[in-house]
Amino acid sequence: MILNLRQASSAVAGFLMTGSVCLAQSSVNNLEMNNNPMDIGVSALFSAGAASEGNETIGALQGGGHDPSKVGFTLQNLELTLSGAVDPFFNAQTNIIMLLNDEGEAILEIEEAFMSTSQLPAGLQIKAGQFYTEFGRQNKMHPHTWAFVDQPIVLSRLLGADGLRSQGGRLSWLTPTPWYSELFLAVQNAKGATGSSFLSGGHAHDEGAEESEFAINGPEDFIYSARWFNGTDINDSVSANIGFSGIWGPNANGMDSDKDLRTSIYGADLYIKWQASHSSRGYPFLSWHTEYLHRDYEEIEGAIFTRKDNGWFSQVSYGFKPGWIGGVRLESASSNEGAVELDTTERFRTALNLTWFPSEFSKIRLQYNYDDSKYFDEPVHLMWLQFEYNLGSHAAHTF
Amino acid sequence: MRAIFVALIILFSPSLWANINIITTTSDLAAIAKTIGGDKVSVTSLTKGTRDPHYAQAKPSMIRKLFRADLLVLVGAEMEVGWLPALIRSSRNKRVLPNNEGYLDISKVIDLKGKPGQRVTRDMGDVHGAGNPHYWLDPSNGILMAKAIADRFGMLDPANKAVYSDNFAEFKLQLEQKIVRWKSELQRFSGEKILAYHTSLLYLSTAFNLDVRGYIEPQPGLSPSASHLNRLLKKIESENIRYILMEPYYETRSAKLLQRKTNINLVIIPQSVGSQPQIKSYFDLFDSIVNALKAVQ
Repeated sequence: MILNLRQASSAVAGFLMTGSVCLAQSSVNNLEMNNNPMDIGVSALFSAGAASEGNETIGALQGGGHDPSKVGFTLQNLELTLSGAVDPFFNAQTNIIMLLNDEGEAILEIEEAFMSTSQLPAGLQIKAGQFYTEFGRQNKMHPHTWAFVDQPIVLSRLLGADGLRSQGGRLSWLTPTPWYSELFLAVQNAKGATGSSFLSGGHAHDEGAEESEFAINGPEDFIYSARWFNGTDINDSVSANIGFSGIWGPNANGMDSDKDLRTSIYGADLYIKWQASHSSRGYPFLSWHTEYLHRDYEEIEGAIFTRKDNGWFSQVSYGFKPGWIGGVRLESASSNEGAVELDTTERFRTALNLTWFPSEFSKIRLQYNYDDSKYFDEPVHLMWLQFEYNLGSHAAHTF
Repeated sequence: MRAIFVALIILFSPSLWANINIITTTSDLAAIAKTIGGDKVSVTSLTKGTRDPHYAQAKPSMIRKLFRADLLVLVGAEMEVGWLPALIRSSRNKRVLPNNEGYLDISKVIDLKGKPGQRVTRDMGDVHGAGNPHYWLDPSNGILMAKAIADRFGMLDPANKAVYSDNFAEFKLQLEQKIVRWKSELQRFSGEKILAYHTSLLYLSTAFNLDVRGYIEPQPGLSPSASHLNRLLKKIESENIRYILMEPYYETRSAKLLQRKTNINLVIIPQSVGSQPQIKSYFDLFDSIVNALKAVQ
């Protein structure tokens, strides 16, 4: 069955119906442009939770928009992915997400929808549309590719519940160095639900005033981001990636007083992976992923002052036999504002998990979180069982 | 200062080292490309022969290699579907985009076996709709692979076209002679019943007339269960199967369990150039496979 591009991309209305054509597309290979106009995939991520506290506390602790956040069952993420070559000049990707909120209502998100060039000279590439900001390693990863069921605390705090993504454009350059080195520069809208450190967050109280204040008056009203990402193979079995990122933009804290307050976020990330030289299905492997983030967040209480938030997470995944991965994540986040709010309190969290991939297209994961914050009197214990299926085109193995 | 400048020019201009810069997805393709190209080309394989090429890991360093490539040679038939498309999209090298001259999918010149005669669904396990991609393990396919590579080299580098076609002619002659010898050396295995780990030995077993009676994997890409191994135990005894052939990267626990209970012979088949240190060429690969089988009593 050949799926026509126009039919398939016509509407989200066809979202659920496309499930039936996915199997027919199961072996779609985007390399074969003449046969297959696009790759189609559906990924669904569910979880079941149990905890030592009630749903109100759990909901507050699980800061990510796609984190499982209640006792009982959660549909974290039902994602439709459409991607492929548009023509010889552009590639495109569209990710539409549905999830069910606590009332059982379906929420629709445009996670990403962008086109990127495939033929620019000199190692340049331009991407335009709605996309995840290139910041650190985890921010641009979609929830079903995470190594843990939930998003690191520092990312929920500084980049937002759904990660930092917005509409805009990005230029990247593969630099002519002997090792892999890529520079990303992007400009994106500062407004929108997914820019919480910028114009959608903060303490803007007057909804009516917001709209007019948010008008773009000049280049200072956008988010600017830069990332320098490097990769090298230390030997045949070990590869390492290191990146540095920064974002600068306006925030909403000065809206009431007509002040132009700014946010800056800086980050560094390191990823090292070992894979046995004789490996089957990619196992055994051991990977270590660490990120550190810092935010300068201007606020106003009479006078302008800069709130400083920071945090890190460090996680190890050990694929000890084909299909089986054990993981440990340690993380911490704090702010110079202290324990006045859950969002600023000093917080430590440890997570342990075990994941089984019966095949590349399904996953079952058990995770335990030990969550200790100054905001709550007692540490909270949480247990998650997560399951996932992937229908449709072959998911790329990411690096 | 001038020395640094010269060094930089050399570093960033692969065209100064060789006429064409070839990237292959596997070490087998690289070995053949080196034989055909000689000193006129520089050849780098993205993966090593010690790993299962289905599950190669896309790494940023590969983007760098693809960016500089004049020609990408791939196995095709979905062998690299899990990792290569994303690399090509990131490489921003229009030469290696599908259907351009710098993109050579060798599976297009091979008569692929194991095409499912039905719609492929995932409950069949890891079945390739395009056919079985392990075709390099039939040495007579080596001739078709080398021919496709030599033709493409000649198209990209017309000045050396004669060199490539001479190298191909010599490769073909040698390979044909060796195939005759390999087949006679493995004569006693002709018609022999075997078990394989994965469907990857289809072409090898056809080339040497081995009769594959079953697989350690219950379905392609899935790990064996206890009940499946029990069925195999019965099968080995009732059908008098004497050999398990498998690649070195699979777990050996299941095969050793069968071996303990039935005395079946376990033969590790090096499946690719580089899977063992002494295997440096396409000829070495079959020499080693033949030796591994001959060593079994």
